[in-house]
Amino acid sequence: MSDNKKKILEMLAKNKISADDAYRLLSAIDGGEGRREGAGRAETAVNSRAKYLRVTVLPNPESERSGSYDRVNIRVPMSLIRAGIKLTSLIPSEARDKVNLALHEKGIDFDARNMKPEDIEELIGALSDLEVDVVSKNGESVKVFVE
Amino acid sequence: MKRPPMLMHMRVEGHGRAFGLWLPLFLMLPLALVALILLCPLILVTTAILWPSGWGRRAWLTLRASVDMFCAMRGLSIDVHSGRQSMSVSVV
Repeated sequence: MSDNKKKILEMLAKNKISADDAYRLLSAIDGGEGRREGAGRAETAVNSRAKYLRVTVLPNPESERSGSYDRVNIRVPMSLIRAGIKLTSLIPSEARDKVNLALHEKGIDFDARNMKPEDIEELIGALSDLEVDVVSKNGESVKVFVE
Repeated sequence: MKRPPMLMHMRVEGHGRAFGLWLPLFLMLPLALVALILLCPLILVTTAILWPSGWGRRAWLTLRASVDMFCAMRGLSIDVHSGRQSMSVSVV
Protein backbone atom coordinates (compact mmCIF):
# COMPACT_ATOMS: atom_id res chain seq x y z
CA MET A 1 0.00 0.00 0.00
CA SER A 2 1.37 3.42 -0.90
CA ASP A 3 1.93 6.20 1.66
CA ASN A 4 -0.78 8.33 0.06
CA LYS A 5 -3.38 5.59 0.47
CA LYS A 6 -2.37 5.11 4.13
CA LYS A 7 -2.70 8.85 4.76
CA ILE A 8 -6.18 8.89 3.20
CA LEU A 9 -7.30 5.94 5.34
CA GLU A 10 -5.85 7.58 8.47
CA MET A 11 -7.73 10.79 7.68
CA LEU A 12 -10.91 8.75 7.21
CA ALA A 13 -10.33 6.95 10.54
CA LYS A 14 -9.87 10.30 12.29
CA ASN A 15 -13.09 11.60 10.63
CA LYS A 16 -11.15 14.38 8.92
CA ILE A 17 -12.69 13.42 5.55
CA SER A 18 -15.92 11.67 4.60
CA ALA A 19 -16.11 8.17 3.13
CA ASP A 20 -17.07 9.67 -0.26
CA ASP A 21 -14.02 11.93 -0.24
CA ALA A 22 -11.79 8.99 0.69
CA TYR A 23 -13.25 6.90 -2.14
CA ARG A 24 -12.72 9.74 -4.64
CA LEU A 25 -9.12 10.27 -3.53
CA LEU A 26 -8.32 6.55 -3.61
CA SER A 27 -9.85 6.24 -7.08
CA ALA A 28 -7.76 9.18 -8.27
CA ILE A 29 -4.58 7.57 -6.92
CA ASP A 30 -5.45 4.18 -8.48
CA GLY A 31 -6.23 5.87 -11.81
CA GLY A 32 -2.92 7.74 -11.81
CA GLU A 33 -0.94 4.60 -10.98
CA GLY A 34 -2.83 2.61 -13.60
CA ARG A 35 -2.09 5.22 -16.25
CA ARG A 36 1.61 5.28 -15.34
CA GLU A 37 1.80 1.47 -15.43
CA GLY A 38 -0.11 1.42 -18.72
CA ALA A 39 2.19 4.01 -20.28
CA GLY A 40 5.23 2.07 -19.04
CA ARG A 41 3.88 -1.19 -20.45
CA ALA A 42 3.04 0.50 -23.78
CA GLU A 43 6.54 1.96 -23.97
CA THR A 44 8.13 -1.42 -23.26
CA ALA A 45 5.91 -3.14 -25.81
CA VAL A 46 6.67 -0.51 -28.45
CA ASN A 47 10.39 -0.63 -27.70
CA SER A 48 10.46 -4.41 -28.04
CA ARG A 49 8.33 -4.49 -31.19
CA ALA A 50 8.88 -1.62 -33.58
CA LYS A 51 12.40 -0.52 -34.39
CA TYR A 52 12.21 1.14 -37.78
CA LEU A 53 9.68 2.87 -40.00
CA ARG A 54 10.26 1.78 -43.58
CA VAL A 55 9.14 3.61 -46.71
CA THR A 56 9.80 1.87 -50.00
CA VAL A 57 8.92 2.79 -53.56
CA LEU A 58 9.64 -0.09 -55.93
CA PRO A 59 9.47 0.19 -59.73
CA ASN A 60 7.72 -2.28 -61.98
CA PRO A 61 10.05 -5.02 -63.29
CA GLU A 62 9.90 -3.78 -66.90
CA SER A 63 11.17 -0.29 -66.16
CA GLU A 64 13.78 -1.77 -63.81
CA ARG A 65 15.14 -3.83 -66.67
CA SER A 66 15.25 -0.79 -68.94
CA GLY A 67 17.37 1.03 -66.34
CA SER A 68 15.20 4.15 -66.17
CA TYR A 69 13.26 3.89 -62.94
CA ASP A 70 12.70 5.51 -59.55
CA ARG A 71 13.34 3.59 -56.39
CA VAL A 72 13.22 4.82 -52.80
CA ASN A 73 14.17 2.90 -49.70
CA ILE A 74 14.07 4.80 -46.43
CA ARG A 75 14.54 3.37 -42.96
CA VAL A 76 13.88 5.71 -40.04
CA PRO A 77 14.60 4.53 -36.48
CA MET A 78 11.56 4.84 -34.21
CA SER A 79 13.80 6.51 -31.61
CA LEU A 80 14.43 9.31 -34.12
CA ILE A 81 10.68 9.80 -34.61
CA ARG A 82 10.23 9.82 -30.83
CA ALA A 83 13.01 12.41 -30.40
CA GLY A 84 11.54 14.52 -33.20
CA ILE A 85 8.09 14.55 -31.65
CA LYS A 86 9.60 15.48 -28.28
CA LEU A 87 11.42 18.35 -29.98
CA THR A 88 8.06 19.81 -31.09
CA SER A 89 7.18 20.41 -27.43
CA LEU A 90 10.01 22.98 -27.34
CA ILE A 91 8.53 25.12 -30.08
CA PRO A 92 7.91 28.62 -28.60
CA SER A 93 4.24 29.32 -27.87
CA GLU A 94 4.14 32.21 -30.41
CA ALA A 95 5.35 29.93 -33.20
CA ARG A 96 3.12 27.09 -32.00
CA ASP A 97 0.03 29.33 -32.25
CA LYS A 98 0.95 30.11 -35.84
CA VAL A 99 1.43 26.40 -36.59
CA ASN A 100 -1.91 25.55 -34.97
CA LEU A 101 -3.63 28.30 -36.95
CA ALA A 102 -2.09 27.10 -40.22
CA LEU A 103 -3.17 23.52 -39.44
CA HIS A 104 -6.67 24.73 -38.55
CA GLU A 105 -6.90 26.53 -41.89
CA LYS A 106 -6.08 23.22 -43.59
CA GLY A 107 -8.88 21.56 -41.61
CA ILE A 108 -6.60 19.82 -39.09
CA ASP A 109 -7.58 20.54 -35.50
CA PHE A 110 -4.38 19.56 -33.77
CA ASP A 111 -2.82 21.36 -30.84
CA ALA A 112 0.80 20.42 -30.18
CA ARG A 113 0.46 21.88 -26.64
CA ASN A 114 -1.77 18.96 -25.68
CA MET A 115 0.89 16.43 -26.62
CA LYS A 116 2.06 14.50 -23.54
CA PRO A 117 4.85 11.85 -23.30
CA GLU A 118 2.26 9.05 -22.94
CA ASP A 119 0.50 10.36 -26.07
CA ILE A 120 3.78 10.12 -27.97
CA GLU A 121 4.16 6.50 -26.92
CA GLU A 122 0.55 5.81 -27.88
CA LEU A 123 1.12 7.44 -31.27
CA ILE A 124 4.25 5.39 -31.91
CA GLY A 125 2.44 2.29 -30.66
CA ALA A 126 -0.29 2.96 -33.20
CA LEU A 127 2.37 3.35 -35.90
CA SER A 128 3.53 -0.21 -35.23
CA ASP A 129 0.22 -1.47 -36.65
CA LEU A 130 0.53 0.76 -39.71
CA GLU A 131 0.90 -0.83 -43.10
CA VAL A 132 0.33 0.99 -46.36
CA ASP A 133 0.67 -0.93 -49.61
CA VAL A 134 -0.26 0.86 -52.83
CA VAL A 135 0.34 -0.42 -56.36
CA SER A 136 -0.11 2.13 -59.12
CA LYS A 137 -1.44 1.52 -62.64
CA ASN A 138 2.07 1.39 -64.10
CA GLY A 139 3.14 -1.27 -61.60
CA GLU A 140 5.01 0.91 -59.11
CA SER A 141 4.58 -0.20 -55.55
CA VAL A 142 4.64 2.07 -52.49
CA LYS A 143 4.91 0.50 -49.07
CA VAL A 144 4.99 2.11 -45.64
CA PHE A 145 5.40 -0.23 -42.72
CA VAL A 146 7.11 -0.74 -39.39
CA GLU A 147 9.60 -3.52 -38.70
CA MET B 1 21.94 7.38 -22.51
CA LYS B 2 22.01 6.04 -26.05
CA ARG B 3 25.27 5.62 -27.89
CA PRO B 4 25.89 8.24 -30.58
CA PRO B 5 26.36 7.11 -34.18
CA MET B 6 29.91 6.19 -35.09
CA LEU B 7 29.98 6.46 -38.89
CA MET B 8 28.03 8.11 -41.66
CA HIS B 9 28.24 6.81 -45.19
CA MET B 10 27.21 8.95 -48.15
CA ARG B 11 27.22 7.90 -51.78
CA VAL B 12 26.19 9.93 -54.82
CA GLU B 13 26.11 8.37 -58.27
CA GLY B 14 25.19 9.92 -61.61
CA HIS B 15 26.38 10.85 -65.09
CA GLY B 16 28.93 8.03 -65.04
CA ARG B 17 30.54 9.28 -61.86
CA ALA B 18 30.31 7.98 -58.36
CA PHE B 19 31.34 9.63 -55.13
CA GLY B 20 31.39 7.88 -51.80
CA LEU B 21 32.34 9.23 -48.41
CA TRP B 22 32.70 7.65 -44.99
CA LEU B 23 32.43 10.25 -42.24
CA PRO B 24 34.01 9.08 -38.98
CA LEU B 25 31.59 10.72 -36.54
CA PHE B 26 33.42 9.14 -33.61
CA LEU B 27 36.41 11.35 -34.41
CA MET B 28 34.21 14.44 -34.25
CA LEU B 29 32.90 13.61 -30.78
CA PRO B 30 36.17 14.55 -28.98
CA LEU B 31 36.26 17.80 -31.01
CA ALA B 32 32.67 18.53 -30.02
CA LEU B 33 33.56 17.83 -26.39
CA VAL B 34 36.50 20.26 -26.53
CA ALA B 35 34.26 22.91 -28.14
CA LEU B 36 31.65 22.33 -25.44
CA ILE B 37 34.24 22.73 -22.66
CA LEU B 38 35.57 25.94 -24.25
CA LEU B 39 32.09 27.36 -24.73
CA CYS B 40 30.83 26.16 -21.35
CA PRO B 41 31.30 29.49 -19.49
CA LEU B 42 29.57 31.40 -22.28
CA ILE B 43 26.69 28.90 -22.36
CA LEU B 44 26.28 29.04 -18.57
CA VAL B 45 26.30 32.86 -18.46
CA THR B 46 23.84 33.12 -21.36
CA THR B 47 21.56 30.51 -19.76
CA ALA B 48 21.68 32.32 -16.41
CA ILE B 49 20.82 35.66 -18.05
CA LEU B 50 17.97 34.19 -20.08
CA TRP B 51 16.62 31.92 -17.31
CA PRO B 52 14.12 34.43 -15.79
CA SER B 53 12.51 35.03 -19.20
CA GLY B 54 12.06 31.28 -19.72
CA TRP B 55 14.29 31.18 -22.79
CA GLY B 56 17.27 29.82 -20.85
CA ARG B 57 15.37 26.67 -19.86
CA ARG B 58 14.04 26.32 -23.38
CA ALA B 59 17.55 26.68 -24.86
CA TRP B 60 18.88 24.12 -22.39
CA LEU B 61 16.10 21.63 -23.23
CA THR B 62 16.60 22.24 -26.96
CA LEU B 63 20.31 21.47 -26.61
CA ARG B 64 19.47 18.24 -24.79
CA ALA B 65 16.80 17.28 -27.33
CA SER B 66 19.27 17.95 -30.17
CA VAL B 67 21.82 15.60 -28.59
CA ASP B 68 19.04 13.00 -28.18
CA MET B 69 18.13 13.40 -31.84
CA PHE B 70 21.74 13.02 -32.91
CA CYS B 71 22.04 9.81 -30.86
CA ALA B 72 18.73 8.53 -32.27
CA MET B 73 20.05 8.85 -35.83
CA ARG B 74 21.83 5.52 -35.50
CA GLY B 75 20.24 3.13 -38.00
CA LEU B 76 18.89 5.82 -40.33
CA SER B 77 19.16 4.83 -43.96
CA ILE B 78 18.04 6.72 -47.04
CA ASP B 79 18.47 5.27 -50.50
CA VAL B 80 17.01 7.11 -53.48
CA HIS B 81 17.46 6.08 -57.09
CA SER B 82 16.02 8.19 -59.88
CA GLY B 83 16.75 7.52 -63.51
CA ARG B 84 20.51 7.10 -63.74
CA GLN B 85 21.23 9.01 -60.56
CA SER B 86 21.25 7.66 -57.07
CA MET B 87 22.01 8.92 -53.61
CA SER B 88 22.31 7.03 -50.36
CA VAL B 89 22.99 8.06 -46.79
CA SER B 90 23.31 5.65 -43.92
CA VAL B 91 24.22 6.25 -40.32
CA VAL B 92 25.89 3.43 -38.42
